[in-house]
Amino acid sequence: MSDLFMVPWSDYQSELIDALGRTLLYTVVSFAGAVVLGLGVALLRLNRAWPARAIATVYTEVFKNVPLLAIIFLTYFGLASAGIRLDVFTAGALSLIVFYAAYLSETFRSAISGVHAGQTEAGEALGLGRAGIFGHIVVPQALRLALPGTNTFLVDLLKSTSLLVTISAAELMSEGRLITSATFRALEVYIVISAIYFALCYPLSQLLLWLERKVRAGDPLSPWRRRRMQAARALLAQDTSPGDTSPADVGLREAAA
Amino acid sequence: MTQPVTEAKETKASPEPVIRISGLRKSFDGRLVLDDVHLEVGRGRIVSVIGQSGGGKSTLMRCVNLLERPDRGMVEVAGEVVHDDGHMVCRDLPRLRRTVGMVFQRFHLFPHLTAVENVVLAQRRAGVPEQEALERAVALLRRVGVAHRGLAQPEQLSGGEQQRVAIARALALKPEVLLFDEPTSSLDPEATREVLSVMRELAADGMTMMLVTHELPFAREVSDHVVFVDGGRIVEEGHPDDVLGSPAQPRTREFLASYGSTS
Ligand SMILES: Nc1ncnc2c1ncn2[C@@H]1O[C@H](COP(=O)(O)OP(=O)(O)OP(=O)(O)O)[C@@H](O)[C@H]1O
Ligand SMILES: [Mg+2]
Repeated sequence: MSDLFMVPWSDYQSELIDALGRTLLYTVVSFAGAVVLGLGVALLRLNRAWPARAIATVYTEVFKNVPLLAIIFLTYFGLASAGIRLDVFTAGALSLIVFYAAYLSETFRSAISGVHAGQTEAGEALGLGRAGIFGHIVVPQALRLALPGTNTFLVDLLKSTSLLVTISAAELMSEGRLITSATFRALEVYIVISAIYFALCYPLSQLLLWLERKVRAGDPLSPWRRRRMQAARALLAQDTSPGDTSPADVGLREAAA
Repeated sequence: MTQPVTEAKETKASPEPVIRISGLRKSFDGRLVLDDVHLEVGRGRIVSVIGQSGGGKSTLMRCVNLLERPDRGMVEVAGEVVHDDGHMVCRDLPRLRRTVGMVFQRFHLFPHLTAVENVVLAQRRAGVPEQEALERAVALLRRVGVAHRGLAQPEQLSGGEQQRVAIARALALKPEVLLFDEPTSSLDPEATREVLSVMRELAADGMTMMLVTHELPFAREVSDHVVFVDGGRIVEEGHPDDVLGSPAQPRTREFLASYGSTS
């Protein structure tokens, strides 16, 4: 064992922390971008106008069927040779965004169309407008359906940031390569780098699973919803004399009068 | 409209109509589903629509709150023409829908919200203040007898409880008329009894209702007027005792006979 661990890790501590931060930054920025773009593409695919659907379909199929590494090379080296020079961060994040947006759009589309048509109808019958129906009925239910798939892609995206080593993106994998070339201890270095990825991904996926369970159980996650439930609980717990449930209380008389 | 002859209910001065439909025609993909339908529901009255599956009962009902757009004819709700000769005249569709409450066969509660929140949602969107909306929701849940399940998710509720929450939800905006499209058709006998008893109370409170149902004894008990729809037309209508007791049209007799043998 003493043979295996001979890299002076304390010397690399601050570089490793920087690299870790960079990996997380790529993950957060790319995931946020992919969610937004993916949602846009999903809405295009659900659009009534066929050109919108066609564009979205072509987009999805193209980026689902090209390797991520090829997309990274295209945006960084390819575009540069055509005169469009993107810095490493922009090229790296952009590649991850366009790639994962294609997958997420499929998840979002099936989640949105998985919300029962009767739900929209019930919303219409209650006088809700398009925005109200989308925001309060379709999105929350689609979110529940999309959450498992979306979470899988988040963890996958975090791991895929390691491919950015090919454009020296200064994230964890690139740092690992630097330390290896300085110390020639490839096995030790990549075991440590892998352990860091694991230490990021495992808790993250557990956290997301916990979140899925909470959402599935209908637990209130937002403070305002929690407040509403508390108020409702208090009202429901109030003792009621028989007179309390007279129709006048609930406005039936006014309605019928 | 053939005026029925018997019973005090029908002979007293007819109240102003909350729903007035005339010359209604509707087709789907060129197939005529409703043709020249005339119907009135007076304030405080209960009108039941009966007929075979596919006869156009749901479509007729959905033309009232314009979930379906008629091709021809006039739809008037609460004294306001909302659709005329194939044209949307209603300027404020959300307001029309708040005037007309609807209860569906399959409940269609919002599964991501608790029972109470189901009753609150539309009120909040309509601008009712939070506390008032909550109080009203709780009062309505009490009224339909499901307050003890107020914090449950719809999937944790029995069918009868779900439908009663749906009725509370439909009442939340103080509609002037309630539409029920086969409210007990997906329920077992016990749950059916629960829901019918809530509807009976609403009737006793003077709620105006239009009801599509296969519960003929119930229709006979609560309705002021029964309409038999077949093949997209009103074949017979009148007082429940007449239409359901001694129908004049052979088609109605046939329907009732087939009905008696199946249920
Ligand atoms: N959105 C639609 N598109 C095409 N056809 C439809 C649509 N809605 C209803 N129809 C057709 O219109 C006819 C009448 O349907 P409707 O649902 O009004 O009948 P119903 O009397 O309510 O039947 P049920 O007792 O089965 O509910 C049926 O033939 C049905 O297939
Ligand atoms: Mg129907």
